[in-house]
Amino acid sequence: MIRLHEVTKAFKRGRDGEVVALETVSLEIAKGEFVFVVGPSGSGKSTLMRLLTREQVADAGEVWVAGKNLKKLRSWKVPLLRREIGYVFQDFKLLPNKTVRENVAFALEVIGRGRRDIRDRVPEVLELVGLTDKAGALPHELSGGQQQRVSIARAFVNNPRLLLCDEPTGNLDPATSVGIMKLLDRINRTGTTVVMATHDQQIVDSMRRRVVELEDGRIVRDQVRGVYGYGA
Amino acid sequence: MARWRYVFVEALAGLRRNLMMSLAVVLSVTVSLTLLGASLLLSEQVDLATDDWTGKVEVSIFLCDDRTCPAITTQQRQKLQEDLEAQPVVAEVFYESKREAYDRFTRLFADQPTLIEAIDVSTLPASFRVKLENPQLFGVIKDQFSAYPGVEEIVDQRDVLNQFLRFTTLVRNGALIIALIQLLAAGVLIANTIRVAAFARREQTAIMKLVGASNWYVRLPFVLEGVIAGALGAALSWGLLYFTVPRVTRDLAREVELLPFIGLDQVIAIAPIMAAAGIGIAAVSSILALRRFLQV
Repeated sequence: MIRLHEVTKAFKRGRDGEVVALETVSLEIAKGEFVFVVGPSGSGKSTLMRLLTREQVADAGEVWVAGKNLKKLRSWKVPLLRREIGYVFQDFKLLPNKTVRENVAFALEVIGRGRRDIRDRVPEVLELVGLTDKAGALPHELSGGQQQRVSIARAFVNNPRLLLCDEPTGNLDPATSVGIMKLLDRINRTGTTVVMATHDQQIVDSMRRRVVELEDGRIVRDQVRGVYGYGA
Repeated sequence: MARWRYVFVEALAGLRRNLMMSLAVVLSVTVSLTLLGASLLLSEQVDLATDDWTGKVEVSIFLCDDRTCPAITTQQRQKLQEDLEAQPVVAEVFYESKREAYDRFTRLFADQPTLIEAIDVSTLPASFRVKLENPQLFGVIKDQFSAYPGVEEIVDQRDVLNQFLRFTTLVRNGALIIALIQLLAAGVLIANTIRVAAFARREQTAIMKLVGASNWYVRLPFVLEGVIAGALGAALSWGLLYFTVPRVTRDLAREVELLPFIGLDQVIAIAPIMAAAGIGIAAVSSILALRRFLQV
């Protein structure tokens, strides 16, 4: 599903300063895996995620996602790549003036899906995330956990092969986070690859899934059934 | 169908959200296109007048008819015609009698009866109308034939025309330059407006991009927002010309009786040009404004 081969990405800072966000990172994630990407702030987690959606392009090395070499991907084909990727943000990024149903449907509308298609699919995915009874609510009427469920529903509504989650529990309390993790686990069981960047030690430890740890732009650990840190 | 509705709804919402700015765009396009249209119409006016004036004539040799000099005799006229035809720089010679001059005049100003009433067959002089191999060689004709008996005056029609043309070209170019500067300003204003609109909706746009909306789908509402404003401006300015120009030329035709004037037909004819200019400038500046802002 994902293959990074000796990927390096640096950012300019100031006049001639440079910050290396990722340095010769190689990583392979198979279809259907559930992977945590952990590490302190500035370790390169976000950069890694942005390379996968091709918001950014690697300076060196190769990034393959869903069978596509992202360096050679024409810019007009980028939207097609992103239709195979669902993206969940830490801050939900829901449109405040649209209802739950409209927020989810929006993701299908803007890629040109037919109205009947949307009418069938949106209730399905709202049921999956357990928000059928909140379909008509506006985001500000929901709790943080509910808003994140809407965000996940929007990311998953197009049946992506890959779900990228950037700190999805970062703004939630522990009890709510557990619910979100159960939901992501359920989505993973449908065959969707899930990559989740997180700081949340408790969650990583309780899930016992593959853990990739980044530090200063390098992979320092890659464990099949890992925990958050060596000391934990 | 649903996708088109989204684009239109978003574009109209954008225009409404920033009503003052949209108004400024529409008005600035209106002003610039009105000037552009006016200069186009002025060109039309010049062409119309020029065609009418020149016809086939380049040099007129007016013949005496007892008003300022003794009338030309038949022999003198024949001699003049033979010598003109023998002159190598002359391509063609027509003789226009007083009757023919009168007929041409009445045809030309058929719609201005007061003008025709003021003259009769004897008013206009007979003339030789001479076409030259090279219009620049007017001096040759003037030198050779001015002294002929019975010749009242030799006039290079291009001189009269050139004076008129110089003036109108100046006015037209001035209007055109101001129109283009205005159009550029309108373009910058549109670009700025679209950038503000894109910034106001950056969250929505970010989501659209991440869920895989195609680039044109993300941009089209913004471009359309600019284009609608541009088209409105074009329509307004054309309407302005439509209602004013025919009135003004009708009044002018009453004052200046020697010229034919443009009317509604010419105003209608420039409609596509103005629409294209208004929509074109709006589309181009919107696309340029979005190029950096909405990069994938």
